[in-house]
Amino acid sequence: MILDARDVCKTYGSLEVLKGVSLSLNRSEICGLIGPNGAGKSTLFRILLGLVSRDSGTLEIHSEASKPLGGIIEKPALYGYLSAFENLRVFSRIQGLELNRADIESQLLQVGLSPLRKDPVRHFSMGMKQRLGLAIALLNEPECVILDEPFSGLDPMGIRTLQDEIRELAKSRGIGILISSHNLVELGDLCDRLYVINQGEIVREGPAREILQQAARSYLLYGTGLESSTTLAKADIEQRTGSIVLHLEEDSIHIIIQRLSAEPGVILTACVPQTNLTALFEKTPE
Amino acid sequence: MRNLIRTELFKIFKQRKTFYAIAAVFVLEAFIMVSAYFQGREFLDVFLENLRESFEFQGNLLNGNLIIYLVLNSFWFHIPLILMIVVSGFLTGEYKDRTVEAVLLQPVSKQQYIISKYIAALVFTAFILGILILSTFLLSYLFFGKGDLVVFLEGLSFYNSTEAFNRLMIAFLVGSLTMFFYAVVSITLAVLFQEATVTWIVAALFLIGTTLLLRLEFDSKWVNSLFFPKLTDSWQYVFFSEIPFRTILNKSLVLIAYTGLIAWIGIRVFQKRDIT
Repeated sequence: MILDARDVCKTYGSLEVLKGVSLSLNRSEICGLIGPNGAGKSTLFRILLGLVSRDSGTLEIHSEASKPLGGIIEKPALYGYLSAFENLRVFSRIQGLELNRADIESQLLQVGLSPLRKDPVRHFSMGMKQRLGLAIALLNEPECVILDEPFSGLDPMGIRTLQDEIRELAKSRGIGILISSHNLVELGDLCDRLYVINQGEIVREGPAREILQQAARSYLLYGTGLESSTTLAKADIEQRTGSIVLHLEEDSIHIIIQRLSAEPGVILTACVPQTNLTALFEKTPE
Repeated sequence: MRNLIRTELFKIFKQRKTFYAIAAVFVLEAFIMVSAYFQGREFLDVFLENLRESFEFQGNLLNGNLIIYLVLNSFWFHIPLILMIVVSGFLTGEYKDRTVEAVLLQPVSKQQYIISKYIAALVFTAFILGILILSTFLLSYLFFGKGDLVVFLEGLSFYNSTEAFNRLMIAFLVGSLTMFFYAVVSITLAVLFQEATVTWIVAALFLIGTTLLLRLEFDSKWVNSLFFPKLTDSWQYVFFSEIPFRTILNKSLVLIAYTGLIAWIGIRVFQKRDIT
């Protein structure tokens, strides 16, 4: 385990932002923190990164590295008047790293940025800024990286590229990655484990697939012959152009799929779970 | 720490606003010099009119040394105003762009970071003062030549050209302490208020308040020697016929103590405050 936070509390005036939050992260693991806006994700990350003090609770970082944690909070904060190269040089120099030109250029290439660009980073797209922010977070080889809403402002292609880079970091460099988002699709297939936070409390935690399954209350079905299916005729469905939304109260989708597969004239090509966010953010009954 | 200071200076001189500020300082200096020339003529007309009837003056009294002296009088309000705006921007800009956060996400302590800001502000102030002093002397001597200096403080005093140069240099050096004081105040105000416009308003208010309070005469000797607005004009003493070095030293030491105290407050507040 690289990071272990226990019963972290934070209050701003009369507002309880975090109410006894516990969270842990292992090396090589990608862990997601999902919650609606204002749930306390950024405050928790700021506490983990040492930017904000906690009122109570413990935080243990099991690392001997000179920089155990790297991170980006919300949008990457960069010196807009400096080039990507100069930004990396400034951020490396302040922590005592004397990187030469080749080292810095290699860091840029690692995150897919061209070392040939000499213009100030204020001209960069959000995706490029995110990648530069990631390169800065990775300076000095931290054992854990905390990324707060790294996908916000990125186009689908940018999201996919960043997701691949994050997977690669965890897999090949053994870095533990804690990542937050309010978008389930972005975290669903990226994370090994998920924490769900709402109103300053962790309301669910567990393997990502399991958490998503628990909160899936409807499924988007694609295929042929679904409209005339006898199985679906008895179910709570909603017709859409090119698909059918199937609402289920219980976790019985595997039975429906089995029946549809056995039904003559019906070919099911895809079944996409639709997570019910209200159900996801509800506190799990004790 | 050395790396932090180096990068702070690198950032300062990579920003366009720094060069706008330097340009503004030079434009202001040019204005001050032109107005000093006219002020000088008026000064000589008023104070020497009667004396001219009884004494014969040789050489040109409206020379470079008088211009430098008059420039000195104007320097300590206008230049600090620009300086405070620019220097506070070294930190408020980082709050605005959230780069304070990005820096503190690296293995850099809050204390080291904020101390490096103060040191960079002092180095920048020294740089501005250096080019100001150099350009004031060069331009004044180039356009108005050298000559004896006449000043009116407790009465009329005349200094020959060499002595005038020495006194003007000492006055600039003593006055520089006030400039360093204002630079430190700017960073502390930036720590306290974080937002650029609010910091500028408070900095301007501070400077105006200090200048107004400086003109007030208090009966108490202690107030006059310990109240900080009364410490910002020590350079004037250099033009007394007998330079009161002890008074200048005492006032300078108290001003340095104030500078240290204000920096300490800024460092403590920065260390204690969350970065949100």
